[in-house]
Amino acid sequence: MPGVEHHAVSRRLRAGMSTSTGASIHGRGITKVFGNGPEAHHALGPIDLNVASGEFVSLIGPSGCGKSTTMLLVAGLEPATEGTIEIDGQPLTSAISEVGIVFQDHLLLEFRTAIRNVMLQQEIRGLDKRALREQADRLFAKLGLTGAEHRYPWQLSGGMRQRVSIARALVHEPSMLLMDEPFGALDAITRTQIRHDLEMLWLETKKTVLFITHSIEEAVGLSDRVLVMSGSPGTIIDEIQIDLPRPRPAHLGEYPDFARYAQRIYATFESLGIYKFK
Amino acid sequence: MTIAAAVKRIIEPALWFAGLLLLWEVLVWAFEIRTFILPAPSQFLVRIYDDFDRLLLQGAITTKLIIYGFVAGALPGVVLGYLIARFPLCERLIYPLVVFVQGLPKITLAPLLLVWFGFSDFPKILLTSLITFFPVLVDSVAGFKSVDYRHYYLSRSTGASWWQTFRLFELPSAAPNIFSGLKITIVIAVTVVIVVEWLNSNNGLGYVVLRAMDANDTPLIFAALVVASTIGVLLNFGVIMMERFLLPWRRRESS
Repeated sequence: MPGVEHHAVSRRLRAGMSTSTGASIHGRGITKVFGNGPEAHHALGPIDLNVASGEFVSLIGPSGCGKSTTMLLVAGLEPATEGTIEIDGQPLTSAISEVGIVFQDHLLLEFRTAIRNVMLQQEIRGLDKRALREQADRLFAKLGLTGAEHRYPWQLSGGMRQRVSIARALVHEPSMLLMDEPFGALDAITRTQIRHDLEMLWLETKKTVLFITHSIEEAVGLSDRVLVMSGSPGTIIDEIQIDLPRPRPAHLGEYPDFARYAQRIYATFESLGIYKFK
Repeated sequence: MTIAAAVKRIIEPALWFAGLLLLWEVLVWAFEIRTFILPAPSQFLVRIYDDFDRLLLQGAITTKLIIYGFVAGALPGVVLGYLIARFPLCERLIYPLVVFVQGLPKITLAPLLLVWFGFSDFPKILLTSLITFFPVLVDSVAGFKSVDYRHYYLSRSTGASWWQTFRLFELPSAAPNIFSGLKITIVIAVTVVIVVEWLNSNNGLGYVVLRAMDANDTPLIFAALVVASTIGVLLNFGVIMMERFLLPWRRRESS
């Protein structure tokens, strides 16, 4: 029944859900200055940022280089001081809702169980409850969260909280996933596993991902392309295409190319004086 | 919690309390203290039984005023707390006034309110609400200010409306603070109503106490006090139950 199909599509569009696989991001001369007058802080830019539909791009750089600011600008949560950002060719003017965001802190609502934190997307967007619940159950299964549905965030480990947070960012099938140091607070073993789980989810759905990190291993291990930033104000000083087969293994040292990519980023950081090895 | 533990939790304080009453009883008889000065527990407990209908009726009148005053103070306290926490303009305009009025011993407004509004329930409810209002306001401001600003990023990225942001993010975040304000003020409200009933009333527990004093009927004073504190305990328990029902995630603190 094409009529029904059409109706479903338009409902998804109205609710801020995507029917395509991934949005494209085109930013030109993006600059962010916080405050004004003598106390103004030039945090970012100008940078050009282009992410193709379905591409996994990492922004890596030292603390305070404006990576997180870049994410907020792309989400439309903070206005750019100068420059323009287009999402799927549409100029960005306010917060976009066709997006899932994962912060370094899981930012789960402590007063909601895991599943109800995820279903927040359904409640706010007024989406079909049964369909979203099925989607949430699928994500929980893939993220190893089955059985944790009715636990409160304080009853979950740090890794599980972040997994719930990822499920919440994906359950409404946004066209773009923005992640701000999502694994920064996790231990190394958990981080490696969750990195793999995220890669598998991404391979399946091919959302556009903008991934903010300060970990070279995460950036190279996950991305199609890595943008190296320096601060401050943050600018993009290197761009590396990562040609490694997917899915990538736990121990990236298996690839000689990994060492080459990592070495290039280390060298860039050293040349900037971020690392001072003698 | 096991049943044995629950029984222990109830029985222990009950025994302790009964022991104290027994000691009181024995001391009053042993030292032959006159009933007019200090009645024995048996005397005023019997009095509660004898005068049960009257105390129940007057207690109900007082309880009604407490609840009206409490609600009339707490609701605006939460609303204004939200406005002050969320809008800097409201904070600048209202907060200095709040600080000033908060420093005022509001119970002293009672005679003034009686002059203005006369012998009706209205000045009693008004004063109770004024006294309930400020602690709830202060706790609400603290609660609404404690919302993590990144939750606003989250709510905006989901396209939440103002009402959804309030209902799903802000109010639950502020609720623990609001309830700690409510738990404190419900007990204060009991005191306020009884004090105002001394000044101006022909009914309520405060009036019962006053009449008993005139008649040198000390056992009745004690009987009224027992009823009043029972009301206070029950209302406080009611607020705690409401908190447990509305904020189920908070149960971890008691478990």
